[in-house]
Amino acid sequence: MIRSASALALILLATGCSSGGSRFVENEEYGTNNQRELILRQTGASSRDAGFVLFGTDRGRDAREALAASGGTGVAVNAYLWRATLETLSFMPLASADPAGGVIITDWYTPPSSQEERFKVTAYVLTRQLRSDGVRVQVFRQTMRNGQWVDSPAASSTGGEMEDRVLARARELRSQTAAAGR
Amino acid sequence: MRKILLGTTAVVSAAFGAAVVTPAAAQEAPTVRLGGSIQAYYGYHNSTGQQNDPGTNTLSPGVQGGGANPVAAGNSIARLGKHDIVTIPAINIQVNGKLANGLTYGGVIEIGFNSMEGRQVQETRASVGRGTAAVDEAYIFLAHPRFGQVRFGDEDGPMGGLMTSGWVTGFGTGGVFGVWENFQNRQAGNRTQTAPGGIGDSSKIVYLSPQFFGFDFGASYAPNYGVMGQTGCPNNVISGYCDRAYAFRGATSVAIPAAGPEFAARRNEYQVALRYRGSFSGVGVSATAGYIGSGAALDMTDAGRQVRTLNDLNIWQIGAQASYQGLTVGAAYQRGDFNFFWGNTVRGDRSGEQLTVGAAYTAGPITVGANMYSALVAGSTGRSFSATTGLITNSPRGMQRRWGMGLGANYRLAPGLDLIAEYVFHSIRQQNVDLDSGRAGVQGRAFSNTFIVGSRLAF
Repeated sequence: MIRSASALALILLATGCSSGGSRFVENEEYGTNNQRELILRQTGASSRDAGFVLFGTDRGRDAREALAASGGTGVAVNAYLWRATLETLSFMPLASADPAGGVIITDWYTPPSSQEERFKVTAYVLTRQLRSDGVRVQVFRQTMRNGQWVDSPAASSTGGEMEDRVLARARELRSQTAAAGR
Repeated sequence: MRKILLGTTAVVSAAFGAAVVTPAAAQEAPTVRLGGSIQAYYGYHNSTGQQNDPGTNTLSPGVQGGGANPVAAGNSIARLGKHDIVTIPAINIQVNGKLANGLTYGGVIEIGFNSMEGRQVQETRASVGRGTAAVDEAYIFLAHPRFGQVRFGDEDGPMGGLMTSGWVTGFGTGGVFGVWENFQNRQAGNRTQTAPGGIGDSSKIVYLSPQFFGFDFGASYAPNYGVMGQTGCPNNVISGYCDRAYAFRGATSVAIPAAGPEFAARRNEYQVALRYRGSFSGVGVSATAGYIGSGAALDMTDAGRQVRTLNDLNIWQIGAQASYQGLTVGAAYQRGDFNFFWGNTVRGDRSGEQLTVGAAYTAGPITVGANMYSALVAGSTGRSFSATTGLITNSPRGMQRRWGMGLGANYRLAPGLDLIAEYVFHSIRQQNVDLDSGRAGVQGRAFSNTFIVGSRLAF
């Protein structure tokens, strides 16, 4: 029960907020009457990856091959998933974030409501596409016993719920930026 | 949750590039990418204007359709069926590159293969083949993270679709703004199913700003309605086709874009738009306010006098939409001086107004949606220009009511591929005006019902 409650508190803390200021507006954030673009947008594909490269470097293909070769690392990842993951985990101290590999590692974090335990999260953004299986979150937990932190299992659902938070936030970010494209 | 995310993503478009952290000054050689789309639909089309009673057709036929006994002008007879299959292919060439100073650049060329209108079919051998290629969009863009983006070429303006809000078309083929027009009849005086929208991607320059605290704005300018280039502009014949003609005989009759449609009296078109996008408790919101203005070419008398017969285009539009989970709802309203196809009104005409609303919902691979519009615009007949006197005959032009609705559903088979079913109803009413010239008497109402099933693929 305590474990679940702590996990819930952790998830409740995992809220993101949009940053203000100036930002560049990507081409995909504008509406279009281009039939190919419309179909690609509505069917979940990307015009930057679709089609055949006649000249130059197919960066999308390079990224996919790098992903396959490295087993999930060494590739630039989806912007929305990356931003959503960062925002979702922003309540925890950040230990490292590698945008090329899509890995975010937090430092240990003790929820204010429970000083007897602490959490550490490793998140992997796996794909360049905004897909529901594009993010994986692992939660590590330690509890204080006899004045020492010892490993304890985290609720099995915690990682999944954190992933859902990330996915929901990614959807919001995408809605914000692309809503006018229809 | 995950299914909802996927579904919503399908509606609002695919995720795009990696660009997690924009690397400073990382020059990239241009990439030239070839893509395209193929759409194929079966349609059942039931409408007014599907037959011509003897003696009612006023068009003289071009080359007869295989008949050994050509009928005379004024007596040609047609019977139109209700079933058809249409194919809509397009090819895209897309260029993207980046300079060391952070400037990104590129361009797009879209080539379509179904641009021929019914009026050209009537010309048969004098016209082009149905599969003739025609460039739709072609523009260059230059973009900088700090200064925004400039697009130069044939492209929609900020209020022509780039920054508008409230037009919910992310289902089916777009509902009442979708491809159903491909099945419509286009006989003279009986153009019953001209959908709103499509102000045109005339050659223009467009500026699109960065986003500041949720707001971005855009502006565009087009000298005229023309697209692509023009090698030579004759001034010794009546030629409104010349982009630079600011006065020509017949300008009044092309207030509504005609012949292509790449021929209209619109001149010096400009658009401005202000858009806000934000998220409130998980609800994505987009709202746009904008304006479209233009001048109009002058008509000319036999004596060479220039006469102003058309009003300037003068359109205000506001729109908003909200997205939550897989649901999107939106509405847009516009009012001002325009007629039913974004054309200039004749002086003395009433102004136009139009409301559109729509909603779409996505769950997993399935998207369903509906949209409708309702418009009150100046009537389609009633005024004509006399080249002898230089006057406009002032017979009552009246008001035309146009409305339509569309219901559609998609099943996404794979990224870039889906199945579609759609139904669209469209209606036009105008009192004491014959909207179906193929039938005897005055038909003050024209309507159509179109059912579509099909598939589309983009690559």
